[in-house]
Formats: sequence, C-alpha cells, structure tokens
Amino acid sequence: MTTTKTAGRPRSWVGRPRYKGKAPYLFLSPYVVLTAAFFAVPFVNAIMLAFYETNGPRSRAFVGLANFRFLLTDSTFQRALINTTLFALVSVFVQLPLSMGLALLLNSGSNRIKGFFRLVFFSPNLVGQVLVGILFSVLFTPRYGLVNWGFFAFLNWGLEARWVSDPQLIMPAIILASLWLWVGFNMVYFLAALQTVDKSLQEAARIDGANPWQVFWHVTLPSMRHVVIFVVIMSVIGSYQLFELPLTLLSESYGFGANNAGVTLITYLNYMAFRSGDLGLGSAVGWVVAVIIFTISLIQIRLGRIAEED
Amino acid sequence: MRFVSNFPYGRAPFWLLVVAVVSVILRVATAHRPEARPDLVVVTHTEAHFEAYRKAIPRFEREHGVKVQLQFTNWASLQARLQNAILAGTEVPDLAEVFEGSLGFFTRGPVADFGVLDLTDRLRRDGLDHRLVESRFSLWSARGRVYALPHDVHPVMLAYRRDIVEELGIDVSKLDTWDKFVEMGRRVTRDLNGDGVIDRYMIDLRYDGNWSLDTLMFQRGGQFFDQSGQVAFATEDTAELIRWYIEQSRGERRIGYECGWGQSVVKAMTDGLVLFQWAPDWRTWVFSDEAPSLAGKMALMPLPAWAPGGRRTSIWGGTGLMIMKQTRHPDLAWELAKYLYFDTPELGKRFLATNILPVLKDAWTLPELNTPFPYYSNQRIGQMYASLAPETPPVYSSPVDAAARIALDQAYNRAAEYYTHHGEAGLMETIRAELAAAAEDVRRRARREKVLEQVVP
Repeated sequence: MTTTKTAGRPRSWVGRPRYKGKAPYLFLSPYVVLTAAFFAVPFVNAIMLAFYETNGPRSRAFVGLANFRFLLTDSTFQRALINTTLFALVSVFVQLPLSMGLALLLNSGSNRIKGFFRLVFFSPNLVGQVLVGILFSVLFTPRYGLVNWGFFAFLNWGLEARWVSDPQLIMPAIILASLWLWVGFNMVYFLAALQTVDKSLQEAARIDGANPWQVFWHVTLPSMRHVVIFVVIMSVIGSYQLFELPLTLLSESYGFGANNAGVTLITYLNYMAFRSGDLGLGSAVGWVVAVIIFTISLIQIRLGRIAEED
Repeated sequence: MRFVSNFPYGRAPFWLLVVAVVSVILRVATAHRPEARPDLVVVTHTEAHFEAYRKAIPRFEREHGVKVQLQFTNWASLQARLQNAILAGTEVPDLAEVFEGSLGFFTRGPVADFGVLDLTDRLRRDGLDHRLVESRFSLWSARGRVYALPHDVHPVMLAYRRDIVEELGIDVSKLDTWDKFVEMGRRVTRDLNGDGVIDRYMIDLRYDGNWSLDTLMFQRGGQFFDQSGQVAFATEDTAELIRWYIEQSRGERRIGYECGWGQSVVKAMTDGLVLFQWAPDWRTWVFSDEAPSLAGKMALMPLPAWAPGGRRTSIWGGTGLMIMKQTRHPDLAWELAKYLYFDTPELGKRFLATNILPVLKDAWTLPELNTPFPYYSNQRIGQMYASLAPETPPVYSSPVDAAARIALDQAYNRAAEYYTHHGEAGLMETIRAELAAAAEDVRRRARREKVLEQVVP
C-alpha cells in the first residue's frame, strides 16, 4: 500500500487534491465568468456565424457551407492566401536569418555597443505598424522618396518606381517595410538566446578545428533551438495575421493594392466583415486562417521535436 | 499590521482587495453625471464644413429653441464607427455626413434594416427634387428611394500651370478634345536635360487607374451600375477607355505621370513636372491651400471632350447628409439638414471658404459665385463650375460599390501588365476578357446581397 502527503483528501479526476472550501472557486470565478463572456460565447458565436450570411448582427440567412464554397472559388481570397503565404515564407527565410545575423554580429561586440545597437534595431518596433506604414508611404514616393533615391543612387533604377501602385512592387514594398520593422525585434530574442549558449562548448569545437560556420551550425544553433522554434512559430503566426501595415500602406484601396497585389487574409477578412458588413463571410475567413495557423504550428512543433531527437 | 498578517489568504490578497476597494471608491467619487443629450447631434468629417456649421448652428438653435451638438471626426473613423453603431444598435448621431460610395453599406439587406431615413417624400414635399442638380440624387439613392441629401456637385475641370503652358505656346481653348490634348501632350512630355528621365509630363494620371480611370469612365457616360442596380461597367466603351488609358500612362508614348497625394503633388506642380491636374471644385481649394506659391500661375479649363461637342466635365467625390432612423426628432433633423445645406446666404460664404459649388441651383446666382479668384489668374471659377454642373453624369450606388471599383481596377491593371509584356497585339481581347471576369466577380457578390434582401428581420 502506498501513501501520499495528500492522503485522506478527495482527489479530482486529474489526480490533484480537490479542495472542499469555496474560497478557491470564489477567487477563480471572475476569470471563469469573464472568459465565458468574452471568449467562450464569442467563440461559439463565431463558429455559428460562419454558416450564415449576415448584415451585421441584425439580419442573417442560413447558408450552410456556402461561405466556405464562396471562398474556395473567390480569386481575391486565393490571392490573399498566396500573398500571405509568400510573406510568411519571406519572414522565415529572409527576415529571421537577417535577425540571426544581426544578433551574431552584436553578440561579438562590447556590451556598450551591444546595448546601443540593440536599441537602434529594436526601436522601429516601438512605433508600431501604422506609423511605419505612413512613414514608408512617404519614403516610397516616386521621384521624391528616400527609398527611390537610394535605389537610383546605387542601382541607377527606381527613381519613378511606384512601390504602392505598381502590382509588381507592392509585395516587395510591404516586405521591405516589414523587414525594417521586425528584423530588430526578432534579433532581440536571438541575442538573448545567444547569451545563454555555453561558451565552453563553442571553445571546445574551435579547439577541435571547427570553422566559425561549423561552430554556429553544430553547436550554437542546436543550443538555442527552443528559441529558434519559438521565433519561427511566432513569425509564421504574425505573418498570417499581417494587417495594419498593408492597410496603412495601401489605404486608398482598403489594403488590397492594385490588382489585389497587397491583399492579405486579414485585410480581406476586415473588408468582408467590417467594410461590406458580411460578418458571416468574415467569420469563415477567420476560421480558415485559424486552421492554417494551427496546422503550420503543429508541423513546426513536430519538426522541432524530430530535430531535437536527432 | 497583525490584521494584515492574519488575513485568511495572506498579505498579497489583502492588498489586492485594498486596491480593488479604493479603485471602486475613486471611480464612483469622481464619476461625472453624463450631460443630457442635446436635441440633435450632427457629425461631419470635413474641417471646412465643421467651421461653416459651427458658425451657422447658433441661429438655428435660436430660431427653433433647441440645442444642437456639432461633432467633428476623421472620415474613415466616422464611417466605420457609424456603420458599426448602426449594426450593433447602439447610440448614433441624429445626422451624419458621409462620403460617396458609402451609402451601399447603410442600405444592405431588407429595407427594414436600413439605419437611415428615407428622404424621398420630404424632398418632393418641399420641392427640392427640382431645385437640386438631378444627377446627384443617384449617388444617394437605393432601390429607387433617396437616403441622403446631396451636399455638392463636384464637377471636374483641369487645373494647369498657366505660366508654363503659355510659355510653351499652348492655347488651352483649342484643347477641346482628348485627341488634341494627347497630341499636345506628346509634344510637351520631354526629358529636358538629357539624363534619360522625363522632366515634364502633360497630366497627372494614376498608374493603377483608380479615381482617374473612374472619372474618365463617368465622363464617357460609363457606370459601375445602371439605375436598376445591374453591373454596367463591362462594355466596349470601357474597354476602349482602358486601352486609351494604358497608352497614356505606360510605355514610350505616355503623357501621364502619377503625382500621388499631398506634398508630392505640390512638388510636382511647383517643379512643373506635371502641367495639368484633375480639379474637381473641392480640389481647387486644396491646391491654393497647399501650394500658395503658385498663386496667379494657375488656371482652370473644362475637361477635353471625348468627341467634338461632347461632355466637358465629369464628377469626382461627393458628400451626403443622412438622417438616422434612431433620431427622436426626425422633423427637426430634416429642418436642420435643409438649413445647413440650402440656406442661400450661408451657401455664398461657404463657397468662398471651400470653393465647393452648392448643389442648390438657386445659389449659383449669388455674387460670391461670380467672384474672380486671384489664385486662378482671376478666373470666376464659381461660374465656370456652375456652367458645367448640369452636364455632370449620374453615378448609381450599390451595396457592392466598393467591390465594383476594386474589380475594375483589377481588370485595368491586368490589362496594363499584359501591355507591358506583349504590347498592343491582343490587348483589346485581353481587356474584354478581364472586364467580363471582373463583372462576373461583382455579380457573384451581388447575388449574395440578394439572399439578404429577402430575409424577414
């Protein structure tokens, strides 16, 4: 027979001791009530909404799966899905390596330099996406914008580039602005992780003849894999929720841009739900986005575990 | 402190409780009793309107013995807040000014759902349906009824750098058709210093179509929707317009350059980079406000026609005043709406403050509308706009209005992309195909609206 410290107390189904007093439940009740009111009820309502065509919360008509069928055949939604996925790929394969590179550079500098540049690279994030959108819409001004002048000075191209009205340039413009905004933010995560890497392991690898790349790839990166996985997942989730930046940069076209070149899943959702008043279709888009994010996150976590086991 | 130590759940919950109790007491003690709602609340999104109404409202209050509150909000937030408040059934102003293209949102679904008052019978009863520019009712009508009072007409002319144009020997009176305008444009669009970059363009043309394409379509008599609400933009005439627009804005023979907004337009005008600008009446005030250094160097001319003797204007923009269904004083709101929009002496002063031509035809004879404007080389711009106003085309509203504008832009941009890669060959076929696809996309969205219209609320 075994005994435990909690022997004699009633146990809940999860095996933890269950308290008889009312106090814990009283303390928990505000959270439970608020969660039910502001999360559970809207959550269930959002599921229901996806099966209705609506005029705001006033009138609704049950349409079954018609909202989802509409999305599957809607070229604007398809474009939004492609644009958002492209943006997520750029986030993972361009933005994060840049963040890592900056973090590695700063990690090798003195503490004073490190602190200064950390602030410099992080500061764009302090102003928020809306201000960055407004700022870049000025920087991207054909003929007079700083970005146009920069490209023209170095590449003899781009003086009249229409970053926010040429369909070919709209996505690159959003990506450029987002790089400026997010590279420094993710760098801070990587920099923090780099500072926890065991220096003796890196030193041992160097003594064994590993070059800087091998030290990074075989020692440093595996040591910070948890942070890397976290940052990748957060970047992908953030990318699929991209909204304010294109909306501000392409404000004249509801964030869609010429030929829908800048439309993202959330700007599409915003337009459908709040500009057109079709909350049902907006809700359906929301569920599609949720499923995409959930699936990608699961895959990433699984891949992370496989890498860990290896 | 022994009490704190003996508090049943420890010190932290005790202090949390203290903070909670103190916060509640402070909140209650400092709470202000909300002011009683005035008889009417009016919201506008335009600073010039706000200033004009602020001066005019005290007289209305005295004459009617009521209290009116005037609010000023950014147009985007006004529209979003108003839309959401109507849909959620929360408190809304009694009267609100909105921009063109937004009526469709307020008139979705079954008629009983509309958050705004039907003004048709009031307009007829007071004889206003004949005293206003008829074409403007189209913008504020849904299912054959009028839901907002039109504030303006917004005929479009071209504003140009008179000094440079005269220096170049251009006689604008001879630019009476777009063919002649383009011909002249090809002569003056030049790289002046030989660095391979064009330094002077004829006209400001949006690269992605957008409002400049829409304005030209309206001038040709094209529409997004016809009077019965059917999609109407996929026509051979629109296809011709798109081909013309592509030629003027892309490729080697282009005459147009996109100036953008705000300071970049001012810079382009000041530098003489672009000679001609689109000038609806409201924009003439913007130019004089933002580019004061060009005073006396600017002038206006009617749009060139598409065919000799054709329409010399179009429309761009519009504001309307809606009365909310929730108002407790619909008759008083109607009186205020008429006072703000059609009180003739006020309209003269307002024209001088905004350059906006009143929609009330009686007001066009006011002396203020015959005043020479030094900024525009002493032209009597009020009379110029008034003479064009009867020609302005109607523009019909629809719940899928925004979708139609996006779809037309998409068709244009795809065709323009085709032109960039393949040139003229097959361009017209591409334009027709893209227009047909765009129209079908809008019809698909409109069909969803039909489902809602049949719902019994």
